[in-house]
Amino acid sequence: MAKKGEVVINIERCKGCEVCMVACPNKVLALAKEVNAKGYHYAIMVSTDCNGCANCAVVCPDSVITVYREK
Amino acid sequence: MKELKLMKGNEALAEASILAGADAYFGYPITPQSEVIEYLMAVKPFERTGMVVLQAESEIAAINMVYGAAGCGKRTLTSSSSPGISLMQEGLSYIAGAELPCVVVNVTRGGPGLGTIQPSQSDYFQAVKGGGHGDYKLITLAPATVQETVDYMKLAFELAFKYRNPVMILTDGIIGQMMEKVELFEQQPRITEEFDWATKGKKEGKEHVIITSLQLQSEQQEKVNLRLQAKYREVEKNEVRYVTHHCDEEIDYLIVAFGSCARIAQNAMDQARKKGIKIGLLRPQTLYPYPYDAINKLAGKVKGILTVEMNAGQMLEDVKLAVNGKTKVEFYGRFGGMIPSPDEILNAIENKLIGG
Repeated sequence: MAKKGEVVINIERCKGCEVCMVACPNKVLALAKEVNAKGYHYAIMVSTDCNGCANCAVVCPDSVITVYREK
Repeated sequence: MKELKLMKGNEALAEASILAGADAYFGYPITPQSEVIEYLMAVKPFERTGMVVLQAESEIAAINMVYGAAGCGKRTLTSSSSPGISLMQEGLSYIAGAELPCVVVNVTRGGPGLGTIQPSQSDYFQAVKGGGHGDYKLITLAPATVQETVDYMKLAFELAFKYRNPVMILTDGIIGQMMEKVELFEQQPRITEEFDWATKGKKEGKEHVIITSLQLQSEQQEKVNLRLQAKYREVEKNEVRYVTHHCDEEIDYLIVAFGSCARIAQNAMDQARKKGIKIGLLRPQTLYPYPYDAINKLAGKVKGILTVEMNAGQMLEDVKLAVNGKTKVEFYGRFGGMIPSPDEILNAIENKLIGG
């Protein structure tokens, strides 16, 4: 069975560049309708299909993503 | 080799201002430029070099604080994004009229009005064709990389004091928010020498120094204008800067683009060259003074020019003035915070420039 993962995003530091969305193989991430204090639509998890590959965390230019992987 | 650092555009810009020996920063936060003042407040340059960092109550207050500090012969700067820069226009006109040096950074976002917070280049007209009232010009620098943003901060202060004129660094939300490697320059000393034109307190036996942009007699005001125009001709003669790619070779077509858009266009140019299209790229680094002569010379040897911008065709007018009817000029642009992709530009090259 594929491993499960959980993405935690520091929404106040996210600038909505969408790089993580492109990097995600399972299309887990999308931009929120809401905005953060700076006015950017931030990335959020929209499905439970995260496999914990952490591609999103690697590509994030502002290091706002932390990925927790199920052991 | 010097130390390389990975920095966000806005933070690199703020660090560069400290290193350039700035005496004061006055500003007001606005996305996508807020990191400039955030960084300055965090690294506390008032403890490192004695540079003043102050959050003004508005952009209008910030530019007038710059006016005051510049009048004392200090190196001062402010930064903002499009709506904030609009608020500063009156102050900028006054500073240009009073012939004072300062640096203004515009991290452009989409307009008009409050617009969006995504990057755009739609402040080109405002930067190079006026903005404020009166016959004045801003020396306008357009960086395309975070490294250039850093280098231009030093250059901007040099030009501002050389010509006693406000200098604008016209960057955009892409470069401001982008992380890139940069090589920082060495710490420059803060200005200690006294300028004759600056208000330093009247000393015995010396004339009053009066800094004003008000001349109630038209004869006097015309003299001011003539002096300004003579200065601008000098700037146009000496300070034109641009880079070219493949323009020395035999080319059939040319792309003209500035700032971050030029980097996307460069990618499209490389793709087109792989397909066998003989195409080059010219990127103006100074938007005022504009490289009219360079574009005019190239226009004589190409079949067409494509201007790529993140606006509805503002620099296009300057390209057309430079080309002066020698060849056809096409335009491709996205606006309102949207960014063109290299594929879109390649498509425009094939269909508009060659096919059209």
